[in-house]
Amino acid sequence: MKILPRDVQEALNKQVPRTLKNDFKKTFKKEFDSLKKEMIKEFLTHPVTLEISAGPSSKNISGTLNGTSNLFAFIGFSPGEDPIKPIIEILERIDYKEGSGSKTGVNFLVDIPQASDIFAVTPMPWATGRSWSKGIETGISGLGYLLNKGGKSSRSGVAIQVKNRVRSGGFSNTPYISALLKKYENKFKKLK
Amino acid sequence: MIEQYHHKLTNSFMLWFDNYLLTKGEAYTNYSGVSLQHYVDERADSDYEVYGSPYKQWVIDSSITGATIPDGVTIGNTPTGAYDPLTSGRHGDMAIDFDNGRVLVKSSNENHDMTCDFAVKDFNLYFANETEEDLIVENKYTINSRIYPSEEVVIDPYDQVIPAVFFNTATAQNKGFAFGGMEETTTTITATVMSEDNYMLDGVLSIFADSRNELISVVPMSDHPLNEFNDLKSGTYNYKDLSKQYSKCNGLYINDVTTSKLTDRARKSLSNDIFVGFIDFEIQHHRFRHQ
Repeated sequence: MKILPRDVQEALNKQVPRTLKNDFKKTFKKEFDSLKKEMIKEFLTHPVTLEISAGPSSKNISGTLNGTSNLFAFIGFSPGEDPIKPIIEILERIDYKEGSGSKTGVNFLVDIPQASDIFAVTPMPWATGRSWSKGIETGISGLGYLLNKGGKSSRSGVAIQVKNRVRSGGFSNTPYISALLKKYENKFKKLK
Repeated sequence: MIEQYHHKLTNSFMLWFDNYLLTKGEAYTNYSGVSLQHYVDERADSDYEVYGSPYKQWVIDSSITGATIPDGVTIGNTPTGAYDPLTSGRHGDMAIDFDNGRVLVKSSNENHDMTCDFAVKDFNLYFANETEEDLIVENKYTINSRIYPSEEVVIDPYDQVIPAVFFNTATAQNKGFAFGGMEETTTTITATVMSEDNYMLDGVLSIFADSRNELISVVPMSDHPLNEFNDLKSGTYNYKDLSKQYSKCNGLYINDVTTSKLTDRARKSLSNDIFVGFIDFEIQHHRFRHQ
C-alpha cells in the first residue's frame, strides 16, 4: 500500500478530528439525553417514589411497612408537601461538559450528583438534620408517624408522651438513591 | 457466652463518649456536703443499708480535671477516710454506687448523718435496645433536674432518668477491605439526647458534631471500670490511662457524624417540655473477623 505523503498526513490529522468532533458531540448528546431520561424515569417509577408521590392516601406499594400505613404518613410529611421535587430538580441538573486531552476525539465530563447531595435536600420533617431518603436505605423510626398525630391527651405524670398514641409498623430498609446513582454512574461512564 | 465484637464496641464507645462529653463540655456539676438519706431498697444486699443522693450517675473518671470523684463519705463530722474498694468492696464495709448516686454501708444503723462530695454528669448515659419512638414517645421518665433541690430527697434507683443520652446500635455491616481477609465493619450508633433546655442540647450536639475522624481505643468488657455494685473495681478509673493500654492504630474510627434536633413543631406533639436531639455515628473498624 502506498504511504500518504507527510504533508497530507499532517493535514488529515488536523482536519479529521475537527470534522468528526461535531458528529461525536451530536451522538454523545443524544445518548446522554436518553440515559438521563431513563435514569429519571427509573427514579420516578421506583416504588418508594411512587408511594411518596401519591401522598397521604397511598398504599404501601414499596412493601417497606409490611402493608401498614404508607411512607408519606410514616415519615411524617404534611398533606400538600412534595418531598420528591428536590430530588427531581437535582437529577434534572445532571449535565456534561467537554474535557480536554484528546487529539483524535472528544472527552466528556459528566457531572453526576453524589448521594450526599440528595440526602442534603431531603430533610426529615421532624428532624431536619436527618434525611428521609437516606433513611429509606438505612432505616427510619416511626417517630414522624407518631408525632404527626394530634388528638386528646393521654397518660398523666412526668413523662414524654404524644397526645394520641398510635403504634407504628416496623420499617424495612430498601435500596434507593445510592443504588440508583451508582448504577447510572457506571452507565454514564460507558457512553462512547 | 464469651465476649464478642459488639460487646467490645459498645463498651469502648460508651467509655469514650462519657470521657469526650465530660472533657470537651465540662458537662458535670460538683456538689459538696450533700446529705445522703436512708431508704429501703429490697433489691440491695440485705447486709447493707442504703443512703441515697438526689442525683444519679456520678462522675467516675479521674482524668476529668476539676471533677470531684468520691472516695468515701463523711459520717457526722468524721470523714471515714480514704475508701479503698480493694479492701472494703463487695465483702467490705461500704460500696459507692456511682450509677444510682448512692452509698451502701454494711451496718444496721439507719440513722447515720452521712454526707458526700461528688460530681454529677449533666447527662446520664444509657445503652438502650429500644426504638426512637419507644424512647421518646412511649417511655416514662423521671426528670432528674441538675438544679439542687430545696429539700432533702433521694432519686429512686435503677430507673432511667433524664437529662440523658440513650444509645442504640442501629445497623452493622461487613465488607471486604484488604487482601488477607481484612474486613471493614461499619456500625451505626444512634444517640438520642433528651435535655431540659435548648442550651444544653445544642452543647451536646455541637461537641459530637466535631467528633468526626476521632479514634477510639477498643477496650474489652473485662476492663469496664465498674463492678456489680456500680462501684470502681480498683478504686480509681482514668479513661486516658486505660485507653493508652490499647492501641488506637487499630481502633474504632468515627467516619461520619450527623446531628439533628426534633423540630419545634414536632416537639409540640409531646406532652412534656423536653428538648430532643439525635446524633448518628457511623463507626468503622478494620479487622479480621475470622480470627
